Amino acid sequence: MWVNMGPQHPMTHGLWNLRVRIEGEIIKDVDPEMGFLHRGIEKISEDRHYNEIITLMDRTCYVAGLSWEHLFIIAAEEALHIVPPERAEYIRVLSAELQRIGSHLMWYAAFVQDLGLTTPFLYGMRDRDLILDLFQTYTGGRLTYEYMRVGGVRNDLPLGFTARCRQVVDWLMDRFVEYDRLCLSSTIFRERCDGLGLLSAEDAIAYGVTGPMLRSAGSRRDLRKDRPYSVYGQLQFDVATANTADVTGRYLVRMEEMRQAVKIIRQCLDWLDDNPGPVMASQLPRWLGAPYAPVGNEAYLLKRNYPTGLGFSMVEEPHGEAGAYIVNDGGEHPYRVKFRSPVLINIWAAKRYLPGYRVADIPPIMGSVDVCVGECDR
Amino acid sequence: MSSASLFSVSDTIAAWLLAHIAYVFPPPVKGWLTSGDVVLGLTALIFSAILLGASMINVIVLIWWERKLLGRFMDRRGAMHVGFAGLLQNFADGLKLFRKDTVRPTQADELGFWLSPTAYLVTSLVIFAILPISTGWNGGSLPLTLLLALVIFSFAPLFIFLGAWASNNKYALIGGMRSAAQMIAYEVPILLAVVAVVVLAGSFDLTTIVMEQRNYWFWAPLFLALIVFLTGMLAEMERIPFDLPEAEAELVEGWNTEYGGMLFAFFMLADYVRYLVGSILVVLLFLGGWTLPSYVPSVLTSFPLAGIVWFMVKVYLVFGVFVWVRASLPRMRTDQLLRLGWMRMVPLALLSVILAALVVAAHCLPVLGCVPSMGG
Amino acid sequence: MAESGAQAPAPIPGTEQRPLLWVTRPLATAARQFAKSLWRPSTIIYPFERLEDPKFRGEVAVASGKPIGVGEIWDNYRGVHALNINTCISCNLCAFSCPDVCIEMVTVPGGDPKHPKKCPQIDYGKCSFCGFCSDACPEGCLSMTTRYELSVHKREDMVYSPARMFEVFKSKLPMNPIRVERPKNEDQILLDPPICIGCNACSRDCPTQCITMLDIPKPTPKPGEKLAKRIWKEPVINDSDCVRCGTCISVCPKDCLFWGTRQ
Repeated sequence: MWVNMGPQHPMTHGLWNLRVRIEGEIIKDVDPEMGFLHRGIEKISEDRHYNEIITLMDRTCYVAGLSWEHLFIIAAEEALHIVPPERAEYIRVLSAELQRIGSHLMWYAAFVQDLGLTTPFLYGMRDRDLILDLFQTYTGGRLTYEYMRVGGVRNDLPLGFTARCRQVVDWLMDRFVEYDRLCLSSTIFRERCDGLGLLSAEDAIAYGVTGPMLRSAGSRRDLRKDRPYSVYGQLQFDVATANTADVTGRYLVRMEEMRQAVKIIRQCLDWLDDNPGPVMASQLPRWLGAPYAPVGNEAYLLKRNYPTGLGFSMVEEPHGEAGAYIVNDGGEHPYRVKFRSPVLINIWAAKRYLPGYRVADIPPIMGSVDVCVGECDR
Repeated sequence: MSSASLFSVSDTIAAWLLAHIAYVFPPPVKGWLTSGDVVLGLTALIFSAILLGASMINVIVLIWWERKLLGRFMDRRGAMHVGFAGLLQNFADGLKLFRKDTVRPTQADELGFWLSPTAYLVTSLVIFAILPISTGWNGGSLPLTLLLALVIFSFAPLFIFLGAWASNNKYALIGGMRSAAQMIAYEVPILLAVVAVVVLAGSFDLTTIVMEQRNYWFWAPLFLALIVFLTGMLAEMERIPFDLPEAEAELVEGWNTEYGGMLFAFFMLADYVRYLVGSILVVLLFLGGWTLPSYVPSVLTSFPLAGIVWFMVKVYLVFGVFVWVRASLPRMRTDQLLRLGWMRMVPLALLSVILAALVVAAHCLPVLGCVPSMGG
Repeated sequence: MAESGAQAPAPIPGTEQRPLLWVTRPLATAARQFAKSLWRPSTIIYPFERLEDPKFRGEVAVASGKPIGVGEIWDNYRGVHALNINTCISCNLCAFSCPDVCIEMVTVPGGDPKHPKKCPQIDYGKCSFCGFCSDACPEGCLSMTTRYELSVHKREDMVYSPARMFEVFKSKLPMNPIRVERPKNEDQILLDPPICIGCNACSRDCPTQCITMLDIPKPTPKPGEKLAKRIWKEPVINDSDCVRCGTCISVCPKDCLFWGTRQ
C-alpha cells in the first residue's frame, strides 16, 4: 500500500511529499517528492544586484538565514575580488555560529514534537527566541536579517552586545543539560531513537549526505576544519561526532555542535572586544556601496571595465555542506548563481535509510534529518 | 458526611414540580400525576439531567485544568482571557465547534460515520450513573458496580474502530487498528490490578471498596497495582505516552482524522469523559474515594458536601499526574507498547494480586501496622 | 532491521546521560520547570505586554535567570518607515534601491508646478523590510521605526502614502539609528563635453542643486564649418554635495553624463 505522507502532513515540516510503500507496518520503499516550494531563487538572482541577493538568501533557509548569507557573501567576494576587513569576518563567524545554535534549537523543537514531546518543543522555541533577540539587537531583524554585505557587514555590533551575548550563551549552556535530561535520560525516547535510520559513513558519502547525518556515522568531515573558510582556521573547537549512525547519534552530534558553537562564540567575542576597527571594506565598486543608484546609460555600460571572476564557496551550514557558485561577468548582476543545498540530498537518501523500519519510525528518522524545505527547493 | 443523596434531592424536586403542575389539571389527571410511578419517572429524568450536567461541566473544567497545568509545565500560560483565568475558554471553543459544519467524506460509510461519535460519547457518559461520588451520591448500588463500570469503559474500541473504518481513510484505519489492539491488550493488566483491589476489599461494589479504605488507603499495600492501573489507564485513555492511535506525527489525527465540527467535539468530549472516569476510578480504588485519613481535623470533613469536595480535589490531582506524564514523556511505538503491556504490566499485576492475597492472609499491613478487623 | 552496514549503536563517553529508573529524570525536569514557572512563566502576554517594554530588557532580566527578552537596542528594529517630508529631496534613491519594487515616488504638495516634489510611497504588501531604502537615503529622512503592527482590513490600506509616513515620523517613535557609511571610492558623475548641448536638464532636476551651468567660450567657427546648434553652457558638478542619485544621468537627453572616476 502506498501512503502519501505530505504535502500536507504533520511529519513533513514544510511542503514536500514522502510516498511510502508499506506492508503492514514495515516500510518497503520510499519515494520523496520535492519541489513544491521552488521559488526560482537562482534565476531571480541573475537579475539583482549582489547586495539585493542577500534578501533572497534569508528566504532560502528561513531558520538559518545568516548561514546562507555567509555562504553567498564568501562566493560573491571571491568573484568580485574584494577582501573584507578582519573584524567583519569575526562578526560573520559569530553570526553564523549563533545561527547554528538557533537552527539546531529549531530542529530540536520540531524533532521532539514529532515524538509527541510537546514540552521540550516549547523549551526549544523559547530558547531560540534568545538568539533571535540577540540578532535583533545588531541586525535589526528577527528572521530575515539582511545583515551581511559584499565587503563586510552592514553595521558594527552595538555597545554592550558582547556582554549580553556572553550571558545568553552561558544561560544556554545550562539549558542544553536540561534538554538531555528530558530526552536522553528518558527510556521511551531512547527506545524510539536508538538504532533507527542507520546510515553508514560509506553510504552517506556515496549519496552525498553531509552535515550532522554524516558525522553521526563516525566521519570527522567538517568544512570548518577540512577547508577552513573565513576565520575558522584561527579558532579552537572540536568536531562533534558520534559513532552510532542512528537518530540518537544525530541528536548527540547536534547537541555537541551547539556546545562547540558556544565555544567559538566566546572566542569571537573575546577577539571582537580587543580589536575595534572598520567592518566594511573601503574600496568597493560604486554599485556595491550603500546607495544603489541607477546604472546609467548605454554609454556607461559600454565603458565599464569592472573585473570579472568566478566565485565558489562551501560552508558548513547547520544542515550540512552548502555550496555557492557565482559567475561574475563584470556587470552589476551576477551572470549565473548556483546553490548546493544539503537538505535536498539528505532527504533523497531516505531511499537508503528508511526501508526496513516501521511507519511509526518515520517521524523520528525524518525529524533527525532536519528538513528545511525552503533551502531544499530554493 | 452529608445525609442528603442525589436520589433524594431529585425526588424532592420531582415531587415539588409535579405538585405544582398537577394544580392546574382536573382531578383524574391530578391524581395520576401525583402517583408514585410518575414521580419516580420524573425523578429518574431529573437525576439523569443533574448527573449529565454535572459531569459535562466537570469534563469541561477538566480540559481547562489540563490546559493550565500543561501551560505551566511548558513555561507558558494556558487559556487566560475568557472568563476568570480562562475558565470559560472551553465553553467558547465548544460553542465554536458546535456551530461548525460537519463534513462527511463522500466515500465514507454514512451510518457508521454518524453513529460512532454519538455511541462513543453515550457509552462513556453512562458510566457516571453508577460511579459513587460520595455516600448516597450514586445512581444505584449494584453489587458488581466496579465490573459494570469497567465493562462499559471497554466498549470504546468498538466504536472507535467503527468510526475509523467508516471514515474510509488510511490514517484513520491504521489509527483505529492500533486503538483496538492497544485497548484490548491493556484490559488484562487493568483487570488484574482491579482483582488485587477486590481481593483486599472483598467486594465488587465501589461504595464498599471505598468504605473498606476508611482505615488506610489501598495505594500503600497495592503500590504495584496502582502503577499498573495508572499505566493501563493511560493506555486506555490514549494519552501520551500511549497516544499512538492518534499519533499526529505519522497518522494525521489518527482515527478522528476525517471528523470535524460537532462530531469532533463529540470525540473530544468523550475522550475527556473517559479521562474523568479514569481519574475517578483511581481515586475510588486506591485513594480512599471521598474519605480522608482519621488524623485530618474534623473541621475539614464536617462541612456540607465535604465528601464531594474532597473527592473532586483528589480526582483533579490524579488527573494532574496524567498531565504531568503527558508533559514529560514522548510517544511509544505500537510494538513497544504491546510488549510493555504483556511482558511488564501483566506480571506486575499478577504479583500485586499475590501481594494482596498475602496481605489479606496475614490480616496485617506492612505500612500502617496490624489492623485485626480486616474485611475479606 | 535495516540492512545498512553501520556500526552497532554504542554510547559516546561523556556526552550522554543514561536513563535512570526509566523515566524519572524527564518527569523531575518537567516538575522543576513547573515549579519555576508557577509564579511567572516566560510568556509575554502580547497585546498587554510588549517586548519593547523596558522591563523585558536590560541586565536585570538576564541576571535573574529568566531572560525573557534581551533586546536592548530595540531602536535598531526594522519596522514601518518614518518619512520626514520636509527634508526629502526627491532623489529617488530609495525607489532605486528597493529589491521588491514596492516604493513609488508620488507627488506631494510643496514643489513648484514645473518640478513637482516627489516622495516615496511604500506598499507594505510587497515590502520585505530589508532596510535598503533607509540605508540609501542620503538625507536620513526615510528611516525605519519600531512600529511593527500592520494589520489592516483592506489591501489598499497596506499602501502608505508619504503623508501617512510623515504621521509616523511625527509620532516620534525610536528610529533605527545606524547610518551606513558611503564607500570612500565612490564614482563621480563625468561629462562627455563634445556631446553636451547645454540644455540645463541636469541642473534643473538635480535634487541637491549641486550642478551649476557655467558658460563656455563659444568657438569661432572655421570657414565653411557650421557651428553646433547648442547652448554654450556646460554642467559643473560639485562632488561634495552630490548624493550620487543619478537623476542627471537619466534626464540627460544626449546621454553625455556617465559614472566614472575623476582624474
